[in-house]
Amino acid sequence: MNYLRLTMAFFWVGVISEVAYRINFFFQLFQSLISLGVAIAGISVIFSYTDSLGGWNAQEILALVGVYLLVGGIIGLIIRPGMEQFIASVRDGNLDFTLTKPEDAQLLVSIQRTNLWSLIDIALGMGVLITALVRLGEKVGAGQAGEFVLVLVAGGSIIYSFFLILATLSFWFVRIENILTVFQSLYEAGRWPVSLYPGWLRYGLTFVIPVAFATTVPAEALTGRLNWQTLVAASIVALVLLVVSRLFWRIGLRRYAGASA
Amino acid sequence: MIKDSGTAPTVDIKDLRKLYMVTQQESGAGAAVQSLIHRRKLIVPAVDGISFHLDPGEIVGFLGPNGAGKTTTLKMLSGLLHPTAGEVKVLDYIPWKREKAFLRQITLVMGQRNQLVWDIPALSSYELNRVIYHIPLDHYRRTLAELTDLLELGPLLHKPVRNLSLGERMKCELAAALLHQPQVVFLDEPTIGLDVTMQRRIRSFLTEYNQRFGATILLTSHYMADVQALCKRVVVIHHGKLLFDGELAKLVQKFSEYKTIIVQIGDCQNNMADYGEVVSCEDGRITLRVPKAQTARVTEQLLADLPVIDLLVEDPPIEEIIDRVFAQEKA
Repeated sequence: MNYLRLTMAFFWVGVISEVAYRINFFFQLFQSLISLGVAIAGISVIFSYTDSLGGWNAQEILALVGVYLLVGGIIGLIIRPGMEQFIASVRDGNLDFTLTKPEDAQLLVSIQRTNLWSLIDIALGMGVLITALVRLGEKVGAGQAGEFVLVLVAGGSIIYSFFLILATLSFWFVRIENILTVFQSLYEAGRWPVSLYPGWLRYGLTFVIPVAFATTVPAEALTGRLNWQTLVAASIVALVLLVVSRLFWRIGLRRYAGASA
Repeated sequence: MIKDSGTAPTVDIKDLRKLYMVTQQESGAGAAVQSLIHRRKLIVPAVDGISFHLDPGEIVGFLGPNGAGKTTTLKMLSGLLHPTAGEVKVLDYIPWKREKAFLRQITLVMGQRNQLVWDIPALSSYELNRVIYHIPLDHYRRTLAELTDLLELGPLLHKPVRNLSLGERMKCELAAALLHQPQVVFLDEPTIGLDVTMQRRIRSFLTEYNQRFGATILLTSHYMADVQALCKRVVVIHHGKLLFDGELAKLVQKFSEYKTIIVQIGDCQNNMADYGEVVSCEDGRITLRVPKAQTARVTEQLLADLPVIDLLVEDPPIEEIIDRVFAQEKA
């Protein structure tokens, strides 16, 4: 409960500070619309030649684009800004203020910053997703919706843990801001179903850089493709990564305190 | 809950050590390439076996030149760094365990850094601290009102922090760090870069805070005026070792081997060097530096030999003494 209160408090501060930079709203809107436009243009070009892409039809791919935007919005809203600030704070020493606070440092670092305008991506993503589902004429039952939420939460947790592990590397290597940008570029691969990619890349995007769990898998849930094995795998990977990233964070903190020296 | 500390010291350090592993980098392209493969590592003792303790409610000045180990010690006291050896206890807690109950009772202020969020008014950052520290609302309002009054924050609280001057920001930083009424306050250069008026303001605030809340304060500063105004007792370290621990007045006695004699006579005379080292001579006002033991003799002689209008014997400025302390150690 207290975690929720803290998160809301930080979110509110994010709102106040972003309102000072209203112009960013338009930048983000512009950027999101372009990103969406490019995706839709790509889909319409491809589907003017074929009816099916790796077993996905045009509307199903559109639903995937919706998930891609939605998850991208979640990353931009809460995951990436906090990690970026954390990396900066290791370098400039402001992490010390976080560490002297009587609250879990990983929590504080994770929620310390939000980028309000990413809500645009989330809204846009939901819009695209709903449009695609309506056009599919498919009835999304309660069971499917439940599965979707479950794998979305699992996918979000996987991405969060992955970001945390990357950012925690800054305890060893001080200048690693670019690592998050590299991840962001790889995330763009999630715009298409991972089954389209050649084997090595598919495995890479599933297990090395787990983009597939965040985009393809939730879209599979909505389009009736999800099998129980994937559902279980996504949940297990999420739990394992949450634990592993937590352990890694603690090792990093010990290093920061010079406990091993 | 505040632990009943009884007569136990608030801060207790025994034979504290902190070693840093430093990778050495030599200049030049060849050396740079070589350092990619093999790095020369050096172990540097930042804090090398110091012991002291602070009693509840004390304000103590923590002095030493740059790199003496002051900040490292403060970081070990506030739980940011793990000591390599020795013992640290603050309010009976072991700082590096970073227990919430401990962190709720301390604060660390660093003059060169800010915890306030840049783009929002200080008041919003205070709200965050209220939630983080679980400060009850009525408690928070009362403390904020008191701090606002003491630091004259009224007009500053609603402006974005980026629009504040350095001094105004420092005042807001102090309030942010003290909203939860910590029992122990670690201040690292709280007046750095501030103008004299603002320094004085912060000083009188710290005195007032210490008296009102009974907080224990450990303060580092390069401004001796801060130390003279605030601290009866000082702890001096150099090269990570303890040089002095005691009253400021005793430090002056112990380390000043000279006295300053200021004589007012008609005009400058060139034979003044016979009496002592001439520091300055303006409009017949001569400043002499004389070994402490000879002060009485030289004064007597001056009065006998010259048409003295006025004569003053002083201890040299504290800065000069501190300089001497550090120089001595090096030699």
